[in-house]
Amino acid sequence: MKKTDVAIVGGSAAGLTAAITARRHYPDKKITLIRKEKLVPIPCGIPYIFGTVGSAQKNLIPDTPLEKNKVDFLIDEVTEINREKRSLKTKGGEEIAYDKLIIATGSLPMMPPIPGFEKENVYPVFKDVDRLGAMQEKLKSSKKVVVIGGGFIGVEMSDEMNKIGNLDVTICELLPHCLQLAFDAEFCEEAEKLLKERGVKILANQKVVSIEGDKKVSGVKLGDGTVLEADMVIIGIGTVPNIELAKNANLRLGPTGSIWVDRTMRTIDENIFSCGDCTEKFSFFGGKPSKLRLASIASSEARIAGSNLFGIQRESVGTIGVFSTAIGDRAFAEAGMTENFAKQQGYEVITGAAEGPNRHPGSMPGMANQKIKLIFEKRTKVLIGAQMMGDHAVGELVNAASACIQHKMTIDDISCFQMGTHPALTASPVAYQFVNAAESALLAMS
Amino acid sequence: MPKILVIDDDKDFQETTRIVLEKSGFQVAAAYDSEEGLQKVQTESPDLVILDVMMPSGFEGFEVARKIREELKLMELPIVLLTAVHGVKKVPYRFAPDDQWLPVDYFYDKPVAPDVLVAKIKEYLNITQ
Repeated sequence: MKKTDVAIVGGSAAGLTAAITARRHYPDKKITLIRKEKLVPIPCGIPYIFGTVGSAQKNLIPDTPLEKNKVDFLIDEVTEINREKRSLKTKGGEEIAYDKLIIATGSLPMMPPIPGFEKENVYPVFKDVDRLGAMQEKLKSSKKVVVIGGGFIGVEMSDEMNKIGNLDVTICELLPHCLQLAFDAEFCEEAEKLLKERGVKILANQKVVSIEGDKKVSGVKLGDGTVLEADMVIIGIGTVPNIELAKNANLRLGPTGSIWVDRTMRTIDENIFSCGDCTEKFSFFGGKPSKLRLASIASSEARIAGSNLFGIQRESVGTIGVFSTAIGDRAFAEAGMTENFAKQQGYEVITGAAEGPNRHPGSMPGMANQKIKLIFEKRTKVLIGAQMMGDHAVGELVNAASACIQHKMTIDDISCFQMGTHPALTASPVAYQFVNAAESALLAMS
Repeated sequence: MPKILVIDDDKDFQETTRIVLEKSGFQVAAAYDSEEGLQKVQTESPDLVILDVMMPSGFEGFEVARKIREELKLMELPIVLLTAVHGVKKVPYRFAPDDQWLPVDYFYDKPVAPDVLVAKIKEYLNITQ
């Protein structure tokens, strides 16, 4: 039997970050990462292999960080955790004893059992290089693609497939807007307008009732009886935690069916930690169970799990939820709760928005319109959400907003936020939208 | 005594489930295909349904769940789905309870340990012991 101090199962965002973190905090320990994939796709990069990047092979998590950090890695599938013996068994016949274990087995695409889901050419979006390659191959001979689900994966996949040129791409979304779980209507409408201008068709408020065809897909039937022709259907409605290994080891599962952990990322077994998509999460706002599964959340959890292995150092504050995406040159980003969601959750909110050029003067090269909306809890004036659209810089600005949310900054704190500005890089200090959105919320209160 | 309706074409599974459930104090009714299941949901008035997915003509269980939910008076009837579909079909994706396409309360991959199943049923029926 092999022996390791730390075993990590899974090699994507959570597993890799956990390994690097463990190495930083515990330089003398033997760390072994076991993953079943020879090649690991960068999860958030998957939509971009179909247009911008060009192939699944060009969207891989490199192994160099493992080598550099002296993490042993094994390509094999862990089939069993023996908690009493503190050991793992693999498909390849290995038995590995561990002192501490981190489970980072991720998630699998969720398949809605729409009648006809089993037909040929229906593709959930896999995090698997071979399957993605097969999907890309099929796209070459397809003419009409229907994407079920208008969330980030659906929108990004559609925009990228549209770039191929000869494809007719239609998104079917059940809710009134695409991206509605991450943005309020005014932002969704702007994103939808851009997608449509670029040639993607959007059918919102549409329930898919069945997938039509004999053996192969021929179309998608909607609730109003319309049949959309399709030779390929892509499903992007979400993910389900991959918890088989943990379940078989009798680890406790949480309310959303993911692996239960405390705020230190420890499972009910004090020697086993869990992080990433397979792990139960709670919201930063109110503490309710959260089903948000993002690589950024996974890495943050992995930094907690990896550092806590031999002594608790860090705790999770819960999931804030920070997203960003781009449609062409226009970027959309969000942190925390939307106005709509906050109200549904029972918060009384006050909002403020500001819009204007992101350069000063506006005649500087690279000028784009930037809009920022901030959402505050009315009585405490604490920031609970931020949405923005503009050039690619909002992808980073939203991270500053997330830090403000995490540290419970108020309207006044943000109004007096000390930013740096430059004509070629940012909005002017006077027109700075992030600050002015807070000021406008203050005005709305009086 | 609460009544459980088991809809599953597998006779051995029906028999073992009946023994386990009866031992735990439940009344058990059995249906061996989806049509009989939909009939018995009406005639037997069960308190909870255990439903299989793959029956003779395909993925019938999914449709049975949706049909049960279409009936106004059955909208709240707890449905626990048990299936071997992930194992048998070796699919790399997962089904999950969902209001729109899979309106069930809980989803188990077969085999399920009898005590786990009984505990889940008791949870849905608010039985504390």
